[in-house]
Amino acid sequence: MAKILMKGNEAIGEGAVRAGCRYFFGYPITPQSELPHYLAKRMPQVGGVYLQAESEVATINMVYGAAGAGARVMTSSSGPGISLMQEGISYVVGAELPCVIVNMMRGGPGLGNIAPAQSDYFQATRGGGHGDYRMIVLAPASVQEIIDLMQDAFDLADRYRNPVMLAGDGVLGQMMEPVELGEEKEVRIPPRPWAATGRTGGEKHLINSLYIVPEDLEKHNIRLAAKFAAMEKEEQRWEDYLAADAELVLVAFGTAARVCKAVVDRCRREGKAVGLIRPLTLWPFPVKAFQPLLATAAHFLTVEMSMGQMVEDVRLATRECRPVYFYGRCGGMLPVAGDVYAAVQKILAGGEAK
Amino acid sequence: MFVKNLRRLTIFTASLGSGKTELAVNFARRLKERGLPVSVVDLDVVNPYFRTRLVREELEREGLTVICPRGEWAGADLPALPPAICGVLEDGRRYGVFDVGGDDVGATALGRFKPNLPDGSYHLWFVINACRPFTRDSDGIINHLRSIEKASRLTVTGLVSNTNLGRQTDLDTVLGGHRVVEEAARRLSLPVVLATARRALAGELQERLGADIPVLPLDLYMQPPWSGE
Repeated sequence: MAKILMKGNEAIGEGAVRAGCRYFFGYPITPQSELPHYLAKRMPQVGGVYLQAESEVATINMVYGAAGAGARVMTSSSGPGISLMQEGISYVVGAELPCVIVNMMRGGPGLGNIAPAQSDYFQATRGGGHGDYRMIVLAPASVQEIIDLMQDAFDLADRYRNPVMLAGDGVLGQMMEPVELGEEKEVRIPPRPWAATGRTGGEKHLINSLYIVPEDLEKHNIRLAAKFAAMEKEEQRWEDYLAADAELVLVAFGTAARVCKAVVDRCRREGKAVGLIRPLTLWPFPVKAFQPLLATAAHFLTVEMSMGQMVEDVRLATRECRPVYFYGRCGGMLPVAGDVYAAVQKILAGGEAK
Repeated sequence: MFVKNLRRLTIFTASLGSGKTELAVNFARRLKERGLPVSVVDLDVVNPYFRTRLVREELEREGLTVICPRGEWAGADLPALPPAICGVLEDGRRYGVFDVGGDDVGATALGRFKPNLPDGSYHLWFVINACRPFTRDSDGIINHLRSIEKASRLTVTGLVSNTNLGRQTDLDTVLGGHRVVEEAARRLSLPVVLATARRALAGELQERLGADIPVLPLDLYMQPPWSGE
């Protein structure tokens, strides 16, 4: 199978189609617009539905409806649009509906700008909507990995009847890399015996997040919490890049991790024991990756395209047994390898305060 | 001249992500090397990432004039077209190289200049990367080319063979794509006016294609953030 050259945004679209997604509801926003653009062309080729709604509030509620009817469905946006969707996301969790939500992050807060950022980490991992909830957040770092992860994103959503977020940034969405698509497979979507599929004479299915009796809502929350606990136990994913014997372990995801990998390579060429942990799931955070490193690493350096959000999870994961430093650029600026390298040098020389 | 019947205005259009910007910049440099006064016009109102304005300073150091929104407006997600574009269209001594936004939506911005572009005054070249999802065969290429002609209300005068897989491009990739472009050219009765390859591959490609099709060696300007030190 020949390779083709794809943008990250297009790869999300193609990956979704190949995962059996036939419904996409969206609204344009830079830097993810190539995704709706791609699916507007691609969905009709496979008999799917592409619909541009009047707003992100509408799209997430269309997702709720489609998922409730048993469809494999996706929406996507960037920061401001994802903020608008929060009420709907909370409803989707409450009604236990599987779906995939894509956030190609841009500079915030507010209108911010259209340049790449990772500053929606808190929103994605802590739940930007109301109520007790969690969702799996996947953070790919290359166009090929996007293709490979899309099937998982939909499968995880089904397994837990919960939304899954794919979190990227403007660079990942816009950059082009060669990808191997592989054969198109017939996708078997798991049965959804709970879906509301019309008056067919069978049992009544209600898609709802309203539990008016407090005793019932508490029971519902306890049941949801058990699902979230299972996700935490089963779904932590990460890439360990030369971290096992590293004195200094970098921690970064997505585009920032690509920069950090270049820094690790340079350090290793120079004989410095530097490695990288790249979380593939931002939630559940890969705490397991850090347990063996507490015996081997002397310091951690978190690199983010924000003022420092994931760094809090790194401190929790290392139980503050080792110093955790932070380097970040924000507002649409990118950390460059040379600056990260300089930060590494400083720490190795015993310089930087926590 | 390295291309046949060069005209004063060369407009590059393409399906999204086909490599127009790198091509336009390299083409303009080539004209500049021949001593011609050249302006590069960034008409890309579609994609705010990886467009000509990002390398403006570098190009201006090389003596090229770059026409694009200035200052804080360069990063705005606004379809703003600076008035200096008309200067390039009207100045009969100046060579203009136009980098138009991708797809029919990008070409719509070009249509606004139709009154300034009488037939024969310009070349409108359709850039093809046969490794891109929607232009992998001649049917796809023809569909996209027609939609761009319709949106811009201008007529494509030639095809550019620009197949690549980014850093993973090898000669077979380029030659395989070139065959697809040639088939489209035959069906459209259009010439293949130019082929391209990274500088390291350009010599070998020229040998394989023969003297009929000029090969433009590309120096890549748009780099991912992790490539630099």
